[in-house]
Amino acid sequence: MSLQITISRVYEFSSAHRLHTSELSEKENIVIYDNCNNFNGHGHDYRLEVSLNGIPDKKTGMILSLNDFDTGVSNVLNKLDYKHLDKEVDFFKNNLSSGEIIVKYLWQELDKQFPKNMLYHLKLWETNNNYFECGQF
Amino acid sequence: MNPQNIFISKKFEFSASHRYWRDDWSEEKNDQIFGKCTSPYGHGHNYELHVTVSGKVDPVTGMIINLTDLKKHVNVVLEKFDHKFLNLDTPYFKSDIPTTENIARVLFDLIDEELKDKGDFRLSKIRLYERSDLYVDVWQEEM
Repeated sequence: MSLQITISRVYEFSSAHRLHTSELSEKENIVIYDNCNNFNGHGHDYRLEVSLNGIPDKKTGMILSLNDFDTGVSNVLNKLDYKHLDKEVDFFKNNLSSGEIIVKYLWQELDKQFPKNMLYHLKLWETNNNYFECGQF
Repeated sequence: MNPQNIFISKKFEFSASHRYWRDDWSEEKNDQIFGKCTSPYGHGHNYELHVTVSGKVDPVTGMIINLTDLKKHVNVVLEKFDHKFLNLDTPYFKSDIPTTENIARVLFDLIDEELKDKGDFRLSKIRLYERSDLYVDVWQEEM
């Protein structure tokens, strides 16, 4: 048996998006994406829980200093906050901004910000009623 | 279908103060690493603790653990933390900083010990919230 520890911080960002794919007809887009297909887009206050796994440093008692934690996350979220994802963030110009794909994108970007294998789990709340997770459970 | 793993979780609260500070570091370095957590007389939080227990569901009571018993056992531990200055009033943080990671680790060990030999269940996981935007999970992983 080994004792495992994760530290998690909760962050928020506010973005606009529209779920629409050119691979489907106008009609099919409406059927599948419903009100998320609204022509002029819409937005959410996203909430993101970021969990890091590691051994607390002997001296600081921390897995990672909260400063470095916040900086790493801000580097990624600053590119999304108060933006229209599909129009202003390169990645989403060619990828749908569904919760599933946003959380995958966040994993790929956040993983570069922290020491190897430290990123453990992400939970992205799009509204209070739906969330998307990736990583280990 | 008969699920193999069933967990029951109970929430607890305690209020305590703490300070992050290393005597072997300069004031600048302490400030740089620990930020406002270095305030000289400590500061406090209302910690929220989620205790998750796993085990067999007793066929007679329908319970993994009687929640009244769980409450009693966990409170034996939390009494040592509630309304205390963790650095000075507990023996656990004389050399370790009472970060959320370290508090959670100490709580896991103490609660695990307290639940030992009390029944056919075991402490599976704890989650300790320092505030609503910061929490630590501790669990045992089978090797």
